[in-house]
Amino acid sequence: MIGFLARRLLSALPVLLVVSLVSFVIIAIVPGDVTAEIAGADSTEAQRAEIRERLGLDKPMVEQALRWYGRLLQGDLGQSYLLNRPVTEAVLERLPVTLSLAGLALVMAVALGVLLGILAAIRHGTWLDQGSMSLALFGLSIPDFWFGLILIVVFSVQLGWLPTGGYVPASESIVGWARSMTLPALALAITQMGVVARMTRASMLEVMGEDYIRTARAKGMRRHVVIFKHALRNALIPIVTVVGVMTGVLLGGAVVIESVFSLPGVGRLIIGAIQRRDYPIIQGGLLITAATFVFVNILVDLAYGWLDPRVRNDG
Amino acid sequence: MLRTSRLRLIRRAFLAAAAGAFIGLSAWTAMAQTAGGDLVFVQNSNPPSLDAMVTTSQASRNITMNMYETLFGFSEDIRPIPILAKSVDISPDGKTYRIPLREGVKFHNGKEMKAEDVKASLDRYKKVGGTQTMLAPVESIDVTGPYEVTLRLSEPTPTFMESFASPRAPAVIIPAEEAAKEPNKISFIGTGPYKFVEYVPDSHVKLERFKDYVPNEDYKDIDGFGGKKTAYLDTITFRVIPEAGAAVAALETGEVQVLEQIPVPTARRLASNPDIKTYENMPWAFLTFIMNMKAAPTDNVKFREAVALALNDEEVMAIATEGLFNLYHGWMYEGSTYDAGDIGKEFYNVHDAERAKALLKEAGYNGEPFSLLTDSNIPEHGKAAVVIAEQLKAVGINAVVNQVDWPTALKIRLQDSGWNGWTLAMGIEPYLGPAALISTLTGAAPHFRANDPELDALYKELITTDGVDGRKAVFAKIQKRLYEFFGIVKVGETGLMQAARANVQGFKPFRFPRLYNVWLEKK
Amino acid sequence: MTAEADADTASLRREIARARRRGWMRFLKRLFSHRSFQVGFALFSVIVLLALFADLVAPYDPNKNDYRNLLAPPSMLHLFGTDGFGRDIFSRVIHGTRISLGIGISVVVMTGLFGVVLGMLAGYVRWLDNALMRLMDGLMAFPGVLLAIALAAALGPSALNAVIALTITFTPRTARIVRSSVLVIRELPYVEAALAVGAGHARIIVRYILANALSPLIVQLTFVFAVSILAEAILSFLGVGPPPPAPSLGNIIAEGRSYLQDASWIAFFPGMAIAAAVLGLNLMGDGLRDVTDPRLASQRGAG
Repeated sequence: MIGFLARRLLSALPVLLVVSLVSFVIIAIVPGDVTAEIAGADSTEAQRAEIRERLGLDKPMVEQALRWYGRLLQGDLGQSYLLNRPVTEAVLERLPVTLSLAGLALVMAVALGVLLGILAAIRHGTWLDQGSMSLALFGLSIPDFWFGLILIVVFSVQLGWLPTGGYVPASESIVGWARSMTLPALALAITQMGVVARMTRASMLEVMGEDYIRTARAKGMRRHVVIFKHALRNALIPIVTVVGVMTGVLLGGAVVIESVFSLPGVGRLIIGAIQRRDYPIIQGGLLITAATFVFVNILVDLAYGWLDPRVRNDG
Repeated sequence: MLRTSRLRLIRRAFLAAAAGAFIGLSAWTAMAQTAGGDLVFVQNSNPPSLDAMVTTSQASRNITMNMYETLFGFSEDIRPIPILAKSVDISPDGKTYRIPLREGVKFHNGKEMKAEDVKASLDRYKKVGGTQTMLAPVESIDVTGPYEVTLRLSEPTPTFMESFASPRAPAVIIPAEEAAKEPNKISFIGTGPYKFVEYVPDSHVKLERFKDYVPNEDYKDIDGFGGKKTAYLDTITFRVIPEAGAAVAALETGEVQVLEQIPVPTARRLASNPDIKTYENMPWAFLTFIMNMKAAPTDNVKFREAVALALNDEEVMAIATEGLFNLYHGWMYEGSTYDAGDIGKEFYNVHDAERAKALLKEAGYNGEPFSLLTDSNIPEHGKAAVVIAEQLKAVGINAVVNQVDWPTALKIRLQDSGWNGWTLAMGIEPYLGPAALISTLTGAAPHFRANDPELDALYKELITTDGVDGRKAVFAKIQKRLYEFFGIVKVGETGLMQAARANVQGFKPFRFPRLYNVWLEKK
Repeated sequence: MTAEADADTASLRREIARARRRGWMRFLKRLFSHRSFQVGFALFSVIVLLALFADLVAPYDPNKNDYRNLLAPPSMLHLFGTDGFGRDIFSRVIHGTRISLGIGISVVVMTGLFGVVLGMLAGYVRWLDNALMRLMDGLMAFPGVLLAIALAAALGPSALNAVIALTITFTPRTARIVRSSVLVIRELPYVEAALAVGAGHARIIVRYILANALSPLIVQLTFVFAVSILAEAILSFLGVGPPPPAPSLGNIIAEGRSYLQDASWIAFFPGMAIAAAVLGLNLMGDGLRDVTDPRLASQRGAG
């Protein structure tokens, strides 16, 4: 197990290297720089040059990159140009928002999706099956940010049940956190809910067709026991494998949902940093986001090995 | 007027105080102010900085002007009045300004404001201040008493007090130890009625009432940026909501109390809502269309005139402002002190396609692309650019919209090539008066890239002319000149539609939300 | 070679060609009798036709401003109402569909091209495999939306940038699918046999591997098409798609978001248009997948 973990962590390094290299390429080709933001729109060229020198922006890109990697090896992601604080601190402060959003959306997508999938599978061929699958397909087809706008109009404006946006930390109020997260998470979850529902149905149908289930049924075991004890457990294994991919999709999708619901997440931090050319934040934010994604995938692999012992051997 | 002697300034303060007393009294008799409560104010973008003196951003000013104060500021009728200063004594040669300070004023850290703090703050402004021309004439700043500083100017500058009182990037007073720090590295400590609690970018800035605030007793009520300020609310939260729709929904549900800006159609709908009150903040800004005089085809004055004649300013304004606008050709607001009358009127809002096409022919225009620079951050800029592009296409100009983010736009417009037209709303400059407005069109980096020597000379004449009447005459010449070379087109005047919950009392639309002197009516 | 033998080979060739055609016909017949595919095909065809003949169908110029007619609600004159510029939403949505489909198909072509080349290289050239796949992993860990925003900041927002950003986002997964097909196919006896008799690599790649990797690739690309349309809307919504006044569907929704309550039609109709196009593609993809490989579970490729 330890060997497996070490190998997986090691294989994450090239991934993170690629991510950081891509961000350097982007920074190198983006026009404009942060100096106009720091010194004001009508600052003089001399003032801006002075700032550029202070920040080391006058050095060649390769040298800047090497310095950045050097500091990274000591665990330092540098200092934000504009927020007046370390990058790590600024990003980690935002991470709970994005993780809350993506996490809750994951839970919703899996819970609702599995529910719909089971419903469709056990009522295979009925209107319930068709209804559930239409819902799943609809979820797959509508733009999530647009769905978010509709949710705001219906649940915040018309019904007044939930806030239109903003974030309440769970440490401040659990109820407030849940209220502030429900609509954004639902909007983000809708697509993946469709994916999960369709997968659950397909693998449930497959498992229910297998011999041991039929045997159990023939032996007179009650239907719901068979379904929930045997079929579901096996049907869920493929779901676990896509959780890793889904996490990536949700983390990426969180960017636009954060903007629709004005949540102070990592995505908006990075967008703001791109627009204002706060390079250290762009670098660090992307690296930490990618690292989160890689880390979740390792966790998923571990969970998968635990659920399905066959995998552990060739892991 | 600027050679204002101490006596005149004080008299003006008294007049203002008398007027304020009247307003204050009537408000007081109508309903009693109640202290306490929390108010959420919504704006659509993050403040780039809370280090007030380094930024010219409106998003920052909204917040910082509730936290910090300046020595002088503008009154309601846009004249310099003392705020942290007691008065000003200007020497007969116009080069020495002796400024006694109010005593007993406390910083948020409990320390009393002294002359050293003022000197340190102004010295810092000279280095990092956001309006570099403001203190340029000042040669030295000396402490001439525990509560007195003296500024020495290199030459008499009649417009100095006006520019010193400017809120564009305000010369706020901060403790001397903070003034030693680099831009954006200070602790946010001021002397204002509210003090800083926290800033979570993309979320909110929170302020709380400064219990030891020392109000300026020379006044009876607020007056422009100064006057007697009273903090009623316990806390103010400035929330950042980029989505106008979401912000309006939050106001309707009562989650938030004041919106900096709401869409005009929404204001029409909300008119029938008894829980919400809308406010027209008019006029708010000039919407301008600036051309690059160094890049073809806009390097040709005939071509630029053709553009000006092709424009249907009414259509641009109606769409860009959603209906809250004023059509006026003048380069100062209609009826204001420096309004130059009908000069240039014949070129405004004419949309004469025939004359425009004839001029294009005369200019030898041959379908070269016209790159129309605009940004995605300020909706009016982008909308105006789209409408202008369609209008230019209609007379045969090959206009292409280039919409980029704001920093990129600021970068591109500083280049001599790569853009031909640029949409810009000027909010604070026309408010501040002719010198502030024209300074953006002259000097080292005029908006339209190339210097117009005649305009440069007129600007110099403007800032060295003593007396309002003399300057009015100079400004009339400036307006005439602007309508001769068409480096910049005034499209119209925009307003700002604001809204608050009905229980928000004492809110008067202004250049920034004065949330002191605002209280929440208890039901 | 005798003339007789020549005739024999020729007739054999004709026979093979006929069998192929019959196979194709059978495939198409099965495809078009699949219900999801039927519905999806019908829906998508309507949308494609509307997009192709946008100039004929749209009653107004999609960029014609009319400031006397701002935010007009849906009526007989303006089926979907007008926006804040007084432009006809119905005409804009139809032209917007053309932009969305254009970007979608470009992404499909580019993704298909890069996916096949990279997937083939990784699956066929052993020593390249590891490096290529690590690169793909890295790109997959990069949130596509942020990449597009960064690209737009670098190169200015445009349809081309949206295509580049989406291609970079979707290529890794497509390459993976091609690679895994290649890995399976190259171990098959007849491919090994072909290698043994010294058939050229190019011939093997085209004849066996590409032909066999084609069906999972087509299914994947159908979903890439669907997801590209959704992603384009997101990019335009965030202001990094085709610049205004281009009536891309995401742009229209973005313009409508300030008027969610006052003029909800602006954001509503383009959203529905996106949903219809994506639904059509998803249904077609489902049908294709069922017909080409019924064993593939209901999994979607790129998300």
